[in-house]
Amino acid sequence: MDIKQKLKQVLIEELNLEDVTPEEIGDEEPLFGEGLGLDSLDAVELVVVVQKHFGVEIKDMEEGRPALQTISTLAAFIEAKQQG
Amino acid sequence: MLKQSNDKNSWSSRSIGSGWQHRAFYLTIKLGGRKAAYLMLYFVVAWYVLFSPLARARAGHYLARRFPESSGLQRLWHCYRLILEFGKVLIDRAVVGILGAESFQVCLDGREELLELCAENRGMILMTAHVGCWQLAMSALEFLQRPVNMLMRREDGDIDRHYYEHAGIPCPYQVIDPTGYLGGTLEMLGVLKQGQILSVMGDRLLGSDKSSTPVDFLGEPAPLPFSAYKLASATGAPLVIFFTRKTGPDSYRVQLAKVLRVPQIKGRSTEHFAPYVQEFAVVLEEFSRQHPYQFYNFHNMWSGSQSEPAEQE
Repeated sequence: MDIKQKLKQVLIEELNLEDVTPEEIGDEEPLFGEGLGLDSLDAVELVVVVQKHFGVEIKDMEEGRPALQTISTLAAFIEAKQQG
Repeated sequence: MLKQSNDKNSWSSRSIGSGWQHRAFYLTIKLGGRKAAYLMLYFVVAWYVLFSPLARARAGHYLARRFPESSGLQRLWHCYRLILEFGKVLIDRAVVGILGAESFQVCLDGREELLELCAENRGMILMTAHVGCWQLAMSALEFLQRPVNMLMRREDGDIDRHYYEHAGIPCPYQVIDPTGYLGGTLEMLGVLKQGQILSVMGDRLLGSDKSSTPVDFLGEPAPLPFSAYKLASATGAPLVIFFTRKTGPDSYRVQLAKVLRVPQIKGRSTEHFAPYVQEFAVVLEEFSRQHPYQFYNFHNMWSGSQSEPAEQE
């Protein structure tokens, strides 16, 4: 399973997103606000989830802001960190 | 020192006097010291309590719940006492900046416990409230030798000055803006991961109403924020309830009231955090019962519409 697919799955499971399937989450869909509709507190959970499932730590806002835009940006961030 | 505002929801330093009134107090402190400023305060507060319905209304949210049996003249007296004590705190804050921190004696309860919590290196969340003088609490934490970050918002046109602005020194703490990207949560998470101290007000909503949960406070449900509890849950940082109170004309006591440990809680549900928020409310209520005139949250905490941006007064 590629990173994007796994991300979508763990997001749904860990954030208890009801009535959403991985297929319904677009790669370029904004995670926050309009789009997937996550809020600021979900961002905290998301950081924890990324560390728990991918072993990648988002240390601060400098890293987090560009990474937490879409599934694609987050997957790219995780991939870069895992390879680095 | 309360001033009518066009926006009925707003509460800022402009609500507690105009620029010239603030400057008059600052000048009095410079010329005559704290006691002279207090003397002026007695008359200024009396004038406002008698002739400003807004002043009475602002204080009334809390006083109606804290002294439900009182009415008429009794309520007016409570209002006078409350605003007078708040005025003294504002003067004290200016005195620290103008005349120096040595103007006050600050006792700290829980020093050893704070050192132990800091040594865990998980960061620390200081949960304070609109009681006493939080600036003095911050100055009492220097021994921890950790950067302090405060979740606070200052409004455009603020005229009220913090003690470090009076003293002409750099701000001793980093400010995290709750109206910034994702409500500042990533910044807050970042500082905790670095083992730093994060200070938040537990009795005031500064972001979305969604991040609040209603808990019982002074006999009625009041929506209080739970973002800090979520952060504590995610990072394992201890959440320290931390209050200050004025104990004499020139003395304050800083007290570690309680330490909360929030376990890992998954998902988006708010109800899991309610018991921890309620614990904070219980401690705060106890404080207000012991020190009824040192509770300075002049918003209607019970209405659920206190989310407009404002600074920590």
